[in-house]
Amino acid sequence: MSSIFRGNFALFLKIAILAGITAILSLLAQSAFASSQIAIGTYLVIAVVVLNFTYFTKVSIPLKFFAPGILFFIAFVIAPIIFTVIMSTYNYQTGNYISKDAAIEQVLIRGVEPDASQTTFDLVSGRSADGSYAVLVSDIANQKFFISTENELTYVETGQLTFNEYGVAITAPGFSVTSVDELATNDAYSKIRYKYSDGYYIIIEAQGVGAVFRQSIAYDAKTDTMKNIQTGQIYVDNKRGNFALEDSPETMLTPGWRAPIWFENYTKLVTDSRVRTPLIKVFIWTIIFATLTVLSTFAFGLLLALALNRKMRGRRIYRSILILPYAMPSIMSILIWAGMFDSEFGAINNLLHTHIAWFSSATFARAAVLLVNLWLGFPYFYLICSGSLQAIPSELLEAAAIDGANPRQVFRRITLPLLLQILSPLLIASFAFNFNNFNLIYLLTGGGPRNTLDGEVAGATDILISYTYQIAFGRNILDFGLASAISVLIFFLVASISFYGLRKSKVMETFG
Amino acid sequence: MKNRLLKGLALAATMSFAAGLTIVPAQAANEILIWADETRGPNLVKTFAKKSDWVPGSTIKVVSFSSYDALKDALDKASGTTGPDIFVAGNDWVPALAKSGKLAPVVLTAAQKSGFTPSQFFDLSYGGKLYGVPVDVNNVGMVYNTKLVKSAPKSYGDMVKFYLANKTKMGLKAGLCIAGGGMSWGGLSGFSALGAEPYQMNADGSVNYDKSFDPTAFAKNVSTLLLDKKGKSNGFYPATDTGCQDNYLAGKVPFAIIGNWHWRTFAEAGFDMNIQPVPGVKPGTYGKMFGSVSGAFLTSYAEAHGVAVPAKSLLTSFFASTKGQVAYQAEEGRPPAESGAQKSQLVLGGQKAMGAAASLSSIPQIGAFLNTNAGGANYWDSAPAYWTAVLVDGKNPLVEAKKLAAIWKANVAAGKADL
Repeated sequence: MSSIFRGNFALFLKIAILAGITAILSLLAQSAFASSQIAIGTYLVIAVVVLNFTYFTKVSIPLKFFAPGILFFIAFVIAPIIFTVIMSTYNYQTGNYISKDAAIEQVLIRGVEPDASQTTFDLVSGRSADGSYAVLVSDIANQKFFISTENELTYVETGQLTFNEYGVAITAPGFSVTSVDELATNDAYSKIRYKYSDGYYIIIEAQGVGAVFRQSIAYDAKTDTMKNIQTGQIYVDNKRGNFALEDSPETMLTPGWRAPIWFENYTKLVTDSRVRTPLIKVFIWTIIFATLTVLSTFAFGLLLALALNRKMRGRRIYRSILILPYAMPSIMSILIWAGMFDSEFGAINNLLHTHIAWFSSATFARAAVLLVNLWLGFPYFYLICSGSLQAIPSELLEAAAIDGANPRQVFRRITLPLLLQILSPLLIASFAFNFNNFNLIYLLTGGGPRNTLDGEVAGATDILISYTYQIAFGRNILDFGLASAISVLIFFLVASISFYGLRKSKVMETFG
Repeated sequence: MKNRLLKGLALAATMSFAAGLTIVPAQAANEILIWADETRGPNLVKTFAKKSDWVPGSTIKVVSFSSYDALKDALDKASGTTGPDIFVAGNDWVPALAKSGKLAPVVLTAAQKSGFTPSQFFDLSYGGKLYGVPVDVNNVGMVYNTKLVKSAPKSYGDMVKFYLANKTKMGLKAGLCIAGGGMSWGGLSGFSALGAEPYQMNADGSVNYDKSFDPTAFAKNVSTLLLDKKGKSNGFYPATDTGCQDNYLAGKVPFAIIGNWHWRTFAEAGFDMNIQPVPGVKPGTYGKMFGSVSGAFLTSYAEAHGVAVPAKSLLTSFFASTKGQVAYQAEEGRPPAESGAQKSQLVLGGQKAMGAAASLSSIPQIGAFLNTNAGGANYWDSAPAYWTAVLVDGKNPLVEAKKLAAIWKANVAAGKADL
């Protein structure tokens, strides 16, 4: 058996696995570079080098164990945190998604205007006698026909042309027609501005159709400004991701771009009452929600663990049943509970013969959220409490009983403190998990109810993470910059609370 | 050791090279990529399976998303390498997507424009540029169960009277509910019939910026027709659309507002398609519905993919043409937007009836007014919030109507700059 892990077969297996991983990562790197995702591509290349170097040399044995974990940690923990922190300093919202270069390109594409009569022509794409891209244009209304390239416009006599059944010129001397297959695969011809007259040009709008335009907006790279060629108005970079009119800054060209605004998203959390007020409300509820959830699930799980810690008939069956909510996918459970709480058709109202609008009232919605989370969470604490109870030395309990302690005193003075000592890190982890329990809120209440008519942005059951999602994705105007700032805030809150909790739990280690 | 390292690296490099050779480009050079939702996507696939040579030399690929929201989500996250060349959706996404540089302008010839109305182009424009072509009319219609209701109601009061008289006898769960389009989009008729609209239109189709709805008159209608003497809901109009379609089909709701993509479901369930707009408070008047168009939109990614011209060609030769719309709507079942397709004998009765209801009483769906949160909330969130506040929470209909009117007025003022 051990020979499998040594010798040539093992070496071959190692090389094959590494080669496979190298191939996959190289493929991804190539794809990333092709998509101009330079940072991702570079990281993948570094990962390939690190992995091959680690496993093909003996430079560090521990690194062979740590390397994959470190690489995943950097890719899926460190990198998103860095990206979120960077984005929190940007004006990154609807209207300001793309890079400045892309925005300038878009502004120039849109910065054209048609001639007064919005002229369109039938045309045929091809090449002129000198091989340059050209169009054979049919001005059927005026019975004029001409070949236009980027720099030249040459009229052609009718007698020199052949026409299709609609009177569109299809061949002309010195003009070679491009095949439809070439037109479908080579778009270079469509980027040309074919010469027309009086500053206007023809652009290809569809196969066989051209429209007359002139440029109305021009970009000056030296001054980094946009100019309306016809009116002379100047649009300057407003340092917030838009070209804005000098005299009237609220008049802006679209699209804008992602621009750094440094700490504005953070200051908005404090200074802008439309952001600050709901944020405080949501923060308070998040703390209450996470605390009550941990307390209720722990208390209920412990109660059941204590009850089933004694020998009784059917104990295995009870234990199996109690684990069922944990075994079921939580998403499914939440959706089923959402249906059961429905005010019109839900099982809960039917059973209770009530007509409670569970998700329309803040109090009932919060109660429902806590109840469903209790259902989802108690099996976990039941399991770990059961295990931990087994770990408490029976001698301690017996000694206490001999000393005359009653069961309540034994529990309060011995069992619970020892359990807390063992479970503190798990309680803190559970608090941190519930602090960001997005699935439950999103699927059960959607963060609601919110008093929309009074301008409430945050719902009664929104926790920080669902509120962040609401800002980033849940509305028509998406604000990724602000959402990133709140995410960073959440990160520091959870980290601080966890750190504090862990320090506290160390204090508890001295107990007993 | 050195030998092993070299051998290993050589093999890894060989495999990497082999893998590199198998790389399939994300999009073929002559391929036009279309994104659509879960109903339009499969129907486009069926349509293109029957005829695919709409743009000579190009192939067409359709990607379907699991829902309309999933399509929106994907578009929000799309980039130059992942985005589509064309997508099919409602017109209200135009302002945000155009503002964000995700849409590219299109220009139509006079002949191509003649198949559509100016208001249809208005729906698909932003900042004076057209970003797509109208594909089909999006609207709702009110259907009534002829087994329960013997004649068409002439006013809102007729429907309420019928419901209250037969509630117990027939075991009705509601009088009028929203089975299609949700409480905001589909529910506009319910608001408008009682006198509330998010913006007012002039007879010439322009927006009347000086006028907004009268909250006092609207609240009075709500109190009279939807609340009992204690100020609680009389059950005629539920605050949610949950279960509406099932209850209507089960004969537990006599009147329902359905989307024009739904009529086949109701027809196949054995209902006569008695489609009309929701009657207003005064006989002969009707609640207005969103008579918007869905469009096929050109994205800025088409340029990056090198298929801008073929994509524009597909917009005009298929999506905006009589032949294309008839072929597509044979699968999709919505009223086509193009005038030639509307007249086609191949367009079914239900599609025509829905189109007729829209032309009788509708307003354009102006995303610049409806999507903004400038007033504190957008139309889509504030509309259902009113019904929850009044019909569920029992709040004063006038107080809430005043809040609603203030929100919508502010949104129109803010949206004006975006048009």
